[in-house]
Amino acid sequence: MRRFWILLSIELKAWRSDPVTALGGFIPPLFILVAFGLLFGGRLSFKIAVLNQDTGQYGAILRRAFDEVLSPFGTPYYDVVDLAPEEAWEAYRLHQIDGIWLLPEDFSRRLAAGEGPAVDMFFSNYNDDRAKNHRIYSAEILWHFYQKIGLPGPPLDLAESYPRSEMIDWFPVIAVGVALLSFMLGGMINVFMLTRKEQVSRIVVEFGLAPRSLAWVLLPKVLLAVVMGLATGTGLLAIVYLWVGAWPGVYLWAVWLMAGLVSLFWVPPTLLLGMRAQYFAGAIATILTGLTVFFVGGGLALVRHNKESVPWFSWLFPNTYAVDPLRDLVLFRTWPVDWWPTLLILSAFAGLSMAAGLGLAARQLRRLA
Amino acid sequence: MARFRLLLRNELRLFRTAVPIHAVALLQPTILYLLMSTILVHPTFEMNVAWPTTEAGDRLLEAMSHVGSPIGLPYIEPVIVPFDGGPVARQVVVVEDQGGHPVAVQHFGLIDSNLVKNYRNRLTAAGLRLWNEALDGRAVSVEERAWLPHDMPYNIYFGMALLPMTVFVAASFLGAILVAQEFEFQTILEYRLAPLSPAWILAARLTRLLLLALLSAVILSVVVGLRSDAWPDLPWLVVLILVPVALIAGCLGMLAGLLLRRSIPAFLVGLVASFAGWVMGSGFGLAAGFGGWYERLSRLTPFTHAVELIFPRYFGAVIGRPALSVAYLLLVSAAMLVLTAVAYRWRVVRQA
Repeated sequence: MRRFWILLSIELKAWRSDPVTALGGFIPPLFILVAFGLLFGGRLSFKIAVLNQDTGQYGAILRRAFDEVLSPFGTPYYDVVDLAPEEAWEAYRLHQIDGIWLLPEDFSRRLAAGEGPAVDMFFSNYNDDRAKNHRIYSAEILWHFYQKIGLPGPPLDLAESYPRSEMIDWFPVIAVGVALLSFMLGGMINVFMLTRKEQVSRIVVEFGLAPRSLAWVLLPKVLLAVVMGLATGTGLLAIVYLWVGAWPGVYLWAVWLMAGLVSLFWVPPTLLLGMRAQYFAGAIATILTGLTVFFVGGGLALVRHNKESVPWFSWLFPNTYAVDPLRDLVLFRTWPVDWWPTLLILSAFAGLSMAAGLGLAARQLRRLA
Repeated sequence: MARFRLLLRNELRLFRTAVPIHAVALLQPTILYLLMSTILVHPTFEMNVAWPTTEAGDRLLEAMSHVGSPIGLPYIEPVIVPFDGGPVARQVVVVEDQGGHPVAVQHFGLIDSNLVKNYRNRLTAAGLRLWNEALDGRAVSVEERAWLPHDMPYNIYFGMALLPMTVFVAASFLGAILVAQEFEFQTILEYRLAPLSPAWILAARLTRLLLLALLSAVILSVVVGLRSDAWPDLPWLVVLILVPVALIAGCLGMLAGLLLRRSIPAFLVGLVASFAGWVMGSGFGLAAGFGGWYERLSRLTPFTHAVELIFPRYFGAVIGRPALSVAYLLLVSAAMLVLTAVAYRWRVVRQA
């Protein structure tokens, strides 16, 4: 055991000489988190102006409907800004607002007389998804408006059911996927850099000549990398907490256990890569592997309830199995129903990878020597 | 001029000494685009509908097929599925009879609120079509006044906004790493002893960075074009707009390499500047649409100015203040050139 601690302290010294390497597991996931936060976690209401020129009562009721209809996010679909007509058109021209609804002066009269009332909706369509939202949000507004003014009811009523009392937001779902990426990438980048440094300083030859089992050499490295992965992942989880308020609390140890097993799966192959690949090419390949696994391994959507849309190859690595139980722990602070099966699967993945990866690494070290 | 040509040829030959680094710098944003474009939002959604057994169900299916953009894509692709009342994987719409009145009940699986919103809005749009038909003359029609003649896929904006980032990544990564490695491998000594004016050496290196950065932009724009069938109307103008961005990035990378003299920290400067600039610089939507501090910060980056200048070439409509953006890009690139020259003299010539 003394040998183990000596080697661990050597690895730690190697890491301390260039601690910037630890950022490799933190910076790419942080960028992804920010990018997805801007894409999906920001302001989802459309900022519009409503120019109500209607001389009757219905224009005002329609205007109020914009504030009254709430989306599943709990906020109105539209954020109506009060602007004078000239200011509104200028703001629209400069893309400072998303659209303008123009209610003509005869709106109420035509509605009361059944003469086909119409409103003009000006909106930007340089992004077809936002244009789509303008169109389908308007349906929500009109549905509510019809109900408010007491028109005859719809020929087909609408209702819905959701399996939880609270709705899950998309960005927190992605954020936990990014945190898992950080746990995994932290381990991978650190083991890659540690191996690389030893190759440059030719210590690997000494390792290869060691009379004892090479497990003493490889295990401290793996342990340090996993610990670094846990540190970077926990750092990212802290950012997720500050951003969306999700934190596993007393389940943090369970998060560490699951994420640690995932990290353990990825560390041995990266160690092998570190013994062969060129410096930058290897580091970038490691990061790109992590990103690809994040994209195809349930990083962006819940897995359990969307199994049919998960590609077959995603089941070949542990992230796909771990990500939903992690979401249970972090987002809902509930114990995953599939805790034990998942733990067994992750342990099998980690054990297999350790046996194969470390075995091959030991062989390669002996050959180098 | 012959000297410059020789220097440039030598610079380009250096490509062979760091092929993987060049490959990463040139292709990374294109790979990012390909990855992101597979998951970016698409307006057409498959919606599961339980096999209709009533006239109301048939009419709802018919209405669903008409929900969409008159100048773009349909929004609903109904998929008829069996439904036994058990747990739902994603979503299913069932038309039921409740107290003698038909009700379309949308059962959701454990999906996120954004998906719920999308499904809910689409069902409401289909239901509203039926309600409008029933109301006849009292139905309110929404006259659409869209800005552009056709809805433009988000993939196009996303790819277009990646172009400045692409040239920035290539020029700043390569500039930073290659200059830092000159110090790490002590080859900087050759430049110190060179009987040439530093201006020639700098010009050759910047030209090389510029060419590689523009090559990476060409690769990305071809991929965007092949994927979305969106091509700029004046490709040469897009290249011209990207030149000052590449110059700024190349100077930033070289500055990082000269000042830090170690490849990893210099590389991190390029990485952080590229991604932060992209995220802050209209990478996901027009800066004006975000407003407030985001827009103010965004206008400090070359990315937003480049995006606003390239936008008309893809979308056919002018945005922002083009003259101001051109002035910004020219002034900042000139300032960065001066800074790089000063740093080069200080680090390479004076410290020889």
